[in-house]
Amino acid sequence: MSRERPGSLEAVREAAELLGYRLVSARRWKRRRPRLRRVRPQSPRRRSRAGYLFVAGYALLLGVVGLWPAGYALNLALTTFDGAFSGVSNFTGSYNQGFLIPAFENVGKFMLIWLTALIVMVIGLSLLMHTLARRVGAAFRFIFYVPAAFAGSASVLLWLFLLQPGLSPWDFVLHALGYKTLGDTLISGNLPVIYALIAFWTGAGSWILVIHGALTNVPEDVLEAAALDGAGPLQTALRIKLPMIKKWVVYMLIVALAGGTQLFAEPQLVSVANLGLVSPVWSPNTLATYLAFQYNNFNYAAAISIDLLVVALVCAGILVFRTRLFKAD
Amino acid sequence: MRARAGLVARRRSAGQVVAFVVLVLVAAFFAVPIIWMLLQSTDPSTLPLRPPTFFGPPPTFSVQPWAFGSLHQLASNWDAIFSGHWIGGDTLLWLGNSTFYSTAGAAIAVALCVPAGYGLATHTFPGRRAILTVTMLVMLIPTNALVLPLFLEANSVHLLKSPLAVILPYGLFPFGVYLSYLYFNTNRFNVLLQTARLDGCDEWQAFRRIALPLSLPISALVVFLDFVASWTNFFLPWVMYWSLNTTGRYPVALGVALQLFNGESFGSYLKVLQLHTTSPPSEIALLLLVTSAPVIVVFVLAQRWIGSGQVQGVFR
Repeated sequence: MSRERPGSLEAVREAAELLGYRLVSARRWKRRRPRLRRVRPQSPRRRSRAGYLFVAGYALLLGVVGLWPAGYALNLALTTFDGAFSGVSNFTGSYNQGFLIPAFENVGKFMLIWLTALIVMVIGLSLLMHTLARRVGAAFRFIFYVPAAFAGSASVLLWLFLLQPGLSPWDFVLHALGYKTLGDTLISGNLPVIYALIAFWTGAGSWILVIHGALTNVPEDVLEAAALDGAGPLQTALRIKLPMIKKWVVYMLIVALAGGTQLFAEPQLVSVANLGLVSPVWSPNTLATYLAFQYNNFNYAAAISIDLLVVALVCAGILVFRTRLFKAD
Repeated sequence: MRARAGLVARRRSAGQVVAFVVLVLVAAFFAVPIIWMLLQSTDPSTLPLRPPTFFGPPPTFSVQPWAFGSLHQLASNWDAIFSGHWIGGDTLLWLGNSTFYSTAGAAIAVALCVPAGYGLATHTFPGRRAILTVTMLVMLIPTNALVLPLFLEANSVHLLKSPLAVILPYGLFPFGVYLSYLYFNTNRFNVLLQTARLDGCDEWQAFRRIALPLSLPISALVVFLDFVASWTNFFLPWVMYWSLNTTGRYPVALGVALQLFNGESFGSYLKVLQLHTTSPPSEIALLLLVTSAPVIVVFVLAQRWIGSGQVQGVFR
């Protein structure tokens, strides 16, 4: 950069500017205490109305299918059927029906299993993949990711087959558990485990991408230094790699938590499949749609959707404002 | 083979062998259902001897989970699911609907995300910070969280049976805006932009001639992510179309769900319904493969972005 002799006045001036300071006075230079003043970094962004034009289309759509529906749902949640303001009565009403808490308990059980599986398996598998050659790791990553193509209804239908004794490729497992029909497998105590299995089969691969991707960003020289200091693979994993991917693990947990409360396709389809033996209001979302479509009670449905939206917003808010994962500048 | 070469090139340790074995076992868990579907679709058996039910004696399938049928059976299954009046709906129509919704959604997303990210990264204006913050919050909210509010809104403006009811929500992709914002928010790009302005480019020219050609990788990423998310979405088309029994509007993800019904397509939970009594598992296995084939093709094409640093945290 500078052709000046290191330590010369010009070199100091340039270095100061690079760091965002301006050399105010060089008089004390001889006493080696130059006066510096912090300069506000000049924004590279242009102050211009043209910015609005670039953002306008997106902002409009964000308003129409993001903010407006949320506002409309809030409005419905705070009013009665004929539009009169009703305070929190829809919230207390939907709560007092007695289905909301069990629904949250159900997804709570599901999430306990699912989040545990995510933590143990995703981190474990990513660490294992990271010890292998890059190409081998990439091959595994692809295998783990492919089931994401069956996300949603396809995976549920597929798993209804995979859980059917006589048809399943894991028939020996079902047999060992004593299940003879699909009805046996789908007993309500099993549902959280089954939904967690489906969610894990379709979703774990994406998280392995994220965590394994974060691991590949751990600088090579740090790992080499650890190896030189005599750290074995286990110690490197626990003391070097894990702390460096911690923020991505936190991210995974919060997003998975927010997503888990939204469970819909699995309980909806399984309840349809299982002759109404499984509660059609198993999760908060199925409860809300049930209220809307079977009872035309849009106000209660809106209240539940606001409950869920608040959970999602709190999770998103923690990620945006309390972690340093997402930077706005 | 290439993967093996990579393994050999490194010094192998006992730990690596253990890691490899564990990974192979877990990979089996992920791969078995897909292999099973591939085998099933060739119809290794004839029809179930007795239709399976949930109660009563166990179904007597002559199905061998691990056997290969024949290509002839595969072809006849193919004909069956595309026959046009197969179990309450038209597979080809559903596939067409899915293609239309996902393509239109991804097109809107990319057309809005790239300029928006560019504008947020290179211009400053009142409200910029607010838009960025809302974008980050909305992109971290699960997509399902807005489905019921969207239904209530669509219901109030009588858009329920319209394709727009799903296309517009698919077109909103805040993560794409954030990705595009990060992409243009670099010193290198800003220097380039300043140079273009010094050379006399106006705002539009700078975007059209500098930003747009450079946005190709980020555009491809946005299209890929939005397409996959739209194709596999279930809840949104369910509330918009299923509840009103608009079979002709179904995307294939909903059409597949129709399989759970005994040839009927009513939105009622209370009907007595049975699983796949009218179509054999082999046809449904093939349908599931056909349903997901476009996404798998897109995955393979997008291999080089999947797992690159840019995509950190996109997949959820």
